[in-house]
Amino acid sequence: MPRSLRRHLLRLLLPPVAALLAAGAVAAYFISLRPASEAYDQALVDIGLALGDRIRGAGGAYYFDLPSVAERALRTDKYDTIYYSVQAPDGVQIGGETGLPAPPSMRSGADGVRAFDGEYRGTAVRIVALRVPCEADVCTVQVAETRNKRDRLARDIVLSSLVPELLIALATLAIVWFGVKRGLVPLEELCAQIKMRSARDLRPIDLGETPTEAAPLVGALNQLLVQVDEARRNQQRFLSNAAHQLRTPLAGLQAHAELALAQPVPEPVRAELEQVRAATVRTARLANQLLALARAEPGGYRAETFVPVNLRRTVEETADEWVRRARDKEIDLGFELEDAMVTGDAFLLREIFMNLVHNAIEYTPRGGRVTVRTGRRRARAFIELEDNGPGIASSERRRVRERFYRIPGTAGAGSGLGLAIVSEIAHAHGAEVEIGEGADGQGCRVALTFLAAQDRLAADAP
Amino acid sequence: MIPAVRILIVEDDTPLAAGLTQILRAEGHAADVMASGERALLALQQEKFDLAILDVGLPGIDGFEVLRRLRAAGQRMPVLLLTARDQVEERVRGLDLGADDYMPKPFAMQELAARVRALLRRAQAQTGPKIVHGPLTLDLVARRAFLDGEPLELAAREWSVLEVLLARVERIVSKDAIIQAVSSWGEELSPNAIEVYVSRLRAKLEPAGVRIRTVRGFGYMLEEYKGA
Repeated sequence: MPRSLRRHLLRLLLPPVAALLAAGAVAAYFISLRPASEAYDQALVDIGLALGDRIRGAGGAYYFDLPSVAERALRTDKYDTIYYSVQAPDGVQIGGETGLPAPPSMRSGADGVRAFDGEYRGTAVRIVALRVPCEADVCTVQVAETRNKRDRLARDIVLSSLVPELLIALATLAIVWFGVKRGLVPLEELCAQIKMRSARDLRPIDLGETPTEAAPLVGALNQLLVQVDEARRNQQRFLSNAAHQLRTPLAGLQAHAELALAQPVPEPVRAELEQVRAATVRTARLANQLLALARAEPGGYRAETFVPVNLRRTVEETADEWVRRARDKEIDLGFELEDAMVTGDAFLLREIFMNLVHNAIEYTPRGGRVTVRTGRRRARAFIELEDNGPGIASSERRRVRERFYRIPGTAGAGSGLGLAIVSEIAHAHGAEVEIGEGADGQGCRVALTFLAAQDRLAADAP
Repeated sequence: MIPAVRILIVEDDTPLAAGLTQILRAEGHAADVMASGERALLALQQEKFDLAILDVGLPGIDGFEVLRRLRAAGQRMPVLLLTARDQVEERVRGLDLGADDYMPKPFAMQELAARVRALLRRAQAQTGPKIVHGPLTLDLVARRAFLDGEPLELAAREWSVLEVLLARVERIVSKDAIIQAVSSWGEELSPNAIEVYVSRLRAKLEPAGVRIRTVRGFGYMLEEYKGA
């Protein structure tokens, strides 16, 4: 599973934040409970002091004198039951209930008061024990109270603080969540920017717009881009050199085959020499086609070096050679040329024409007719070849674009690369390839229509 | 016919250089081979050549540099560049440096021979008084044309059109190019007028085997003379 930076951040931030909030809530509970609890204790102390006032004693003997009216008043409480016990200095019980729990240890505060929790008659109680002066000695008074008021108070504190605490907690979590999300927006933008790039665009990413924290990452990526670009160029240089290096020995081979053919040689030898010559020409063409194919692939050329090219000029510049070849086959090669401006790689655009016209002349029978057209249709530049040869069956029109595919039964010795090259170059230039019939439903018509520059920009965007 | 000339071949690939030498000798020319740019420049200082066939991809100083130096030294002979790199930029560079023609390898020997003939004819027309094309001779000084030795009557416009076509044998000359070359003093000829001149020329020349091919939608091409 890929590591999500956002999830990671949230996992790091949310538990401690939640724990802190919980701890805060607990602390707040105790902080607000204590003064309230002390106030209740003080009320018990007051009762104890009042009880202490009722201890009488003379000559070492003590008794407790509380009128029943006063006792009722003392014991009256809306919520809780109050118990007490009064002990003489010698520990003898002289009033109140017996059996109240004794203080854990009688180390009392400065005022001689000690408050503690205990249990009496099966109920949890709060007890205060205080020492009161009696005669010349000290008596002990304990006052106990059930916990109804206190529990109620605690419940009230919890309830009254829970809602705001929860709201604060939710708000904090929301802030963390959105903060992390917002904080990661520049990263997402960077990501989108990289995703939008075409595979051919190896320019470094602009560091100016990159967040400082992402700069090392982008820097490393840029370094990689430079290396990929360099490797791509090396590969292209190698391919280009290899294809070109082949051509000089091929030129020598062709020269000597032709010179031999010019000699008076026996017919079987002539036929063999003719084969050698034809194979040489094909090999040279194949080298050129492979070069074109390599260059048309992603990474084979640099989209940013595309230049404006007029397809009309492309055709005009290489027309001589094809007119001579057509003449050798008694084919009428004609032109209907209008300006057709496109943006692209001049070498590759020329390869389009070379391959299309080569195919048309190759597959059109002797005495046939081939027409080259360039121009603009509905604001789009096009180049089109039409012949009155055998045509391409509609069932084959897709497959002929595949590399090395040749229609079964085709005469001649083609490589099956021509239309594949045309298709790849068209793709690289945002052009559509259409393969159909000639004007009267006879022959073949191949048309490349180039997207207008603004359409291309729209098509490139994801 | 074109008189015998001396041709310098600068090519480091031995089999190809040998093939070129043979075909040029078969055409009746003298041919010398130099395998490097340095040697070629040395030979050019010492001897006089009528035409140079120059390979671009030479070891040491390359063909472009040889071309640049020989033009800088004032050598005016036609130069045909041979290159293994058939790329638009390279062709433009070669022509900018003063090459007269450009052939990507490999090429047909006949094609090479035809290009050499065309270049020699052009050089001759620029420097000499006559253009010869098979049975057709144009005497540029006297402005008189001969076909099979007989005087040939040509109207002024017909002469101009023929001269343009003769300068580019086996090459397409567009109608526009002919119009530009033939029109003068602000008056522009129509494409139809050009068609009329060409058809008149054909009527006069074709019986002698001099053919002007129509390239549909483009222009015309005066074909290599192959006998009547």
